Amino acid sequence: MSTLPQTQTSAPRAAAVEVRGLCAGYGDTQVLHDLDLEVREGEIMVIMGGSGSGKSTLLRLLIGLELPRVGTLSLLGHETARLGPVEMLDLRRKLGVAFQGGALFSSMSVAENIKLPLREHTKLDEATMDIMARLKLEVVNLSGFGDLMPAELSGGMLKRAAIARAIVMDPRLLFFDEPSAGLDPIVSAALDELILRLREAMGMTIVVVTHEVESAFKIADRITILDRGRILEIGTPEEVRNSSNERIQNMLNRRSAEEPLEPAAYLRRLTGNA
Amino acid sequence: MLRYVEQAGRRTLDGLDQMGRASSLLGESLFWTFLGRRWRQPVRVRAVFAQMMQIGIAAVPITTLLATAIGVMLAVQSLYSLGLFGAQSFAHVGISLSLTREFAPLIVGILIAGRSGSALAARISTMSINQEVDALRAIGINPVRFLVAPALLAMLIMLPSLTMWANLVALSAAGLFVSASLDVSLAAYISNTMSVLVPNDVLHGLGKSILFAVLIVIVAALNGSRVTGGAEGVGRVTTRSVVHSISAIVLADMIFGYLATQ
Repeated sequence: MSTLPQTQTSAPRAAAVEVRGLCAGYGDTQVLHDLDLEVREGEIMVIMGGSGSGKSTLLRLLIGLELPRVGTLSLLGHETARLGPVEMLDLRRKLGVAFQGGALFSSMSVAENIKLPLREHTKLDEATMDIMARLKLEVVNLSGFGDLMPAELSGGMLKRAAIARAIVMDPRLLFFDEPSAGLDPIVSAALDELILRLREAMGMTIVVVTHEVESAFKIADRITILDRGRILEIGTPEEVRNSSNERIQNMLNRRSAEEPLEPAAYLRRLTGNA
Repeated sequence: MLRYVEQAGRRTLDGLDQMGRASSLLGESLFWTFLGRRWRQPVRVRAVFAQMMQIGIAAVPITTLLATAIGVMLAVQSLYSLGLFGAQSFAHVGISLSLTREFAPLIVGILIAGRSGSALAARISTMSINQEVDALRAIGINPVRFLVAPALLAMLIMLPSLTMWANLVALSAAGLFVSASLDVSLAAYISNTMSVLVPNDVLHGLGKSILFAVLIVIVAALNGSRVTGGAEGVGRVTTRSVVHSISAIVLADMIFGYLATQ
């Protein structure tokens, strides 16, 4: 578990992310049902759930790639639906996102990828941007890899480079999509350490979406368990571990919570009509 | 029977939906091009120049080759067909008008649709699949402003430029062939051609090339953004983009030609 001071021993912190009555979906399918969620400033919140639980949809909503059908979403005190394009742009500069596959721009070198947000949103000169890119590469232990193309990096290095790009604007709020997915345990553990170090060093609020149980318990201050588009539990790792909810225990113990599903049954499950 | 009517109706609606999306994409591209700076999202000159290099400068050799071939081909056919009436000395009329008004913009349009339109569709679809488009939005960069607007601007500059180049090359190639075949001087051929051509003929071709430029970029971007599946999906949208843009170019050419000559 992380080393952030426990909530009960420190002054109440403002909500960096606040979700109220959020519903979302695609077409006729409703994926998220009436979610309420709060992530406090400086906290590492891990959102966990199985396939089809709606965690990826929730992340897309949080980072503004999808719009909610119902409900409100506030980031760093700003209700996103009320923001104009320029205000939204200002808000986005305070957010960082590290996507599952890295999502580095394949036509640019690693350093150019990291410099892109600076190039687009600041008036820094090239030399300063070079220095900042080098600094961020050092933070993620990729010094000297700036000139390589993304295709030349391993999976773990790609994720580190994506993190360097995500933190280059020193965001206050950082989102991770499945940071450990597809990595071997050693690289995965190193990435967990990096996430903890980022919070320690830069004081960021971090939201991690993952299905990796070990990783979640290692880094989380609190964990949100999503199931069929609804929140089953929000609590500290101990609270989640001691939950009496059978579905949560199944998930934590990696037991299949249900029988293999047919596509139609899967869709019914998604819509909450199972 | 009902099924066919249903299918036709669905396809018509889909077509209308696509046209709506295309108009919206064009509007958005123009918005970012002209008002992006005001919204702190300017279209980068560097990106436009990079696209101009890819779309225009890199296409000069193949444009030159094709324009030469078209010029000579038209000269051969004109001399043959007019020779049937003993009117070979009027070959320059058909050659110059058909090249500047029709063939140069059409061939360049088709060439660039196959070359750069497909590249744009492949780029956008690959970026979509790799979440790079999502990453752009997450960074606070509008994907239309970043990917489509520079390509549109570059295409609007380079397609008419390539068309002008193709005019020059094709007319020269045709002139060389005709002057050699009819044993007249090249200077006399050029003089005859210049007496036939009026600025409107060249502008007619350039107008078409501007229309083709818009069609190529919008069709490519639209197809690229609708990718589903992995590498197979990229191949599918790239092929579809080329087929759609060439079809759109030929149809637009016909409509433009008809309207402009009324």
